[in-house]
Amino acid sequence: MTSNFLFSSLLLLPFLAAPIVYMLGRSTARNGNVLGISLTRALTVFFLLVEGCLLYLVVKQALSSGGTYLLIGDEPLVFDGIGLILACVVLFLGLMVTLFSIDYMSNEKGEEKFYALLLATIGSIIGLGMSYDLFNLWLWFEAMAISTYLLVAFYNDEPPSLEAGVKYLVQSAVGSALVMFGIAMMFSQTGSTTLTDLWQMTSSEAPLAKIAGVLLIVGFGVKTALVPLHTWLPDAHSQAPSGISAMLSGVVIEAGLVAMLRAISMFGKVDFNWGAILIGFGCLNILVGNLMALRQTQVKRLLAYSSLAHVGYMLLGFGFGMAFGRFEGAAGGFFHLLTHSMMKGLAFLAAGSLLFTLHLSKQEHVPLTLDDLNGASRKYPVAAFALGLAVLGLGGIPPMAGFMSKWQVLVAGVKAENTLMLIVVIFAALNSILSLGYYAPLVNRMYRHEPSTAVEQGNKMPGLMIIPLVILSIAIVVIGIWPSSVQFLTEQAGLSLLYTFFY
Amino acid sequence: MNLPIPLVVLITILCLAGIGLYCLLITRNLIKVVIALQLIVKGAVLAFILAGNMTGQLNLAQSMALTVIVADTIVAVVGLALAVQIRLKTGSLDIKSLSSLKR
Repeated sequence: MTSNFLFSSLLLLPFLAAPIVYMLGRSTARNGNVLGISLTRALTVFFLLVEGCLLYLVVKQALSSGGTYLLIGDEPLVFDGIGLILACVVLFLGLMVTLFSIDYMSNEKGEEKFYALLLATIGSIIGLGMSYDLFNLWLWFEAMAISTYLLVAFYNDEPPSLEAGVKYLVQSAVGSALVMFGIAMMFSQTGSTTLTDLWQMTSSEAPLAKIAGVLLIVGFGVKTALVPLHTWLPDAHSQAPSGISAMLSGVVIEAGLVAMLRAISMFGKVDFNWGAILIGFGCLNILVGNLMALRQTQVKRLLAYSSLAHVGYMLLGFGFGMAFGRFEGAAGGFFHLLTHSMMKGLAFLAAGSLLFTLHLSKQEHVPLTLDDLNGASRKYPVAAFALGLAVLGLGGIPPMAGFMSKWQVLVAGVKAENTLMLIVVIFAALNSILSLGYYAPLVNRMYRHEPSTAVEQGNKMPGLMIIPLVILSIAIVVIGIWPSSVQFLTEQAGLSLLYTFFY
Repeated sequence: MNLPIPLVVLITILCLAGIGLYCLLITRNLIKVVIALQLIVKGAVLAFILAGNMTGQLNLAQSMALTVIVADTIVAVVGLALAVQIRLKTGSLDIKSLSSLKR
């Protein structure tokens, strides 16, 4: 029973930690107790480290016993490759975001809520990756959504933040209602919501299964930001606190994607080309994301639109995996998920550190515009270097991790040996060059322009803020030079996905 | 006219979802938006019960319906809390007045 104990504590710990952190911060912050609020921050970091150790122990157990399997009531939770990669990504990025936010959020009221909600978000994403039951999947998804609604509207005195929060809430809630209708449809056909049962019981000629599949794709697609459903994303990403923008872009939309893949994987028998749908949405996402990013004047909105394009690359990878059974495609999709979370996380954190020093630390709630970045490298060399590294990596310049993951996705497309797929691959590669059209000017502005007035009047950057930037920059370069260091994660995840889809 | 009960429930589900979606499209008041969301989800709750009835798994269906109600109430609470803040900060509940973020 030890494996079950370890596994359940892995899932439960963030939800036990969140109220503890909140109550501790709440009871001390009211008296203006500085020690109490620092204890709250330290406790959050401590819980995340404990969670990481638990994850390591569960992995060790799973390797020695060949897969852990846990039942809570009738709802199975399985620890497999997909859950592992999502848990690793969210814990690593969550820890970086927490370290970053210690200074970033220190001027805000209600800081303890921020940490408690961040822990709850991390916990629900870990659970989402491991749930193997359609209803359970929806429940984790909804828990993640509710905690992020509150985080997006965290600056609850600013009308733009509230507007972004309302847009996000309404669109997500409609999406999750569609998911519910899809689940009810499948439930009425089979009398079970376990993914394995559903896979076995759906026949290839089930019309209702196709409708349910489309409902699930559209419902989860709202959170994944498939193109016609993406309008909440730039608002939410640009208005949330920067740490939360990094979480939203780095893991929350990917968690929606993983939920969608889990849901589709039970339709493996249905006679319908699900991979083609993913590839189609992928192309649309890449094109619209890049074109919209080209015309942005605010840094965080630009990065938000580039998230659309990168979700497109992941969709292409998974589409190649599902449509042609290309194992490299699915593994490449997960590899891009991992590298994108690091690069986009770093880009948002670096932009956030500049936003903090230029505006927020002076109590000005204004967006960071492209013009503000001019000459930032003179005064803030580390932040400018990190932002430059991140955006060049996102654009796919070789020594960074982004090149490796894009390459793997596109190679899988070429190996599919299909003329149409070859056109898709060329289209995606050309779009990667188009994306440099907005990434490269950022670097140019920071390094070659004369400093803007905002930079000249900016405050000093806090030392603790620099640590996560440096760690993430090193991680990006290391993965880019030595991609096999994360191969065990991505290959396991790709195998798990294709295994559940085809067998 | 003597309709079978599952058919009546099915029609009710479709009506609830349809009215909810229509209301969501035409309304401009934030509170009414939250009510529209509730209508759609109530349709989904009925759909779970109907599905359970069709497959003879009523216990499972009822527990799912209860869970959905709880999760959805939290969403409604968050939505109404945002509505209160928006009313306090902008003095209006009209969603058309919330359009500072463009493109």
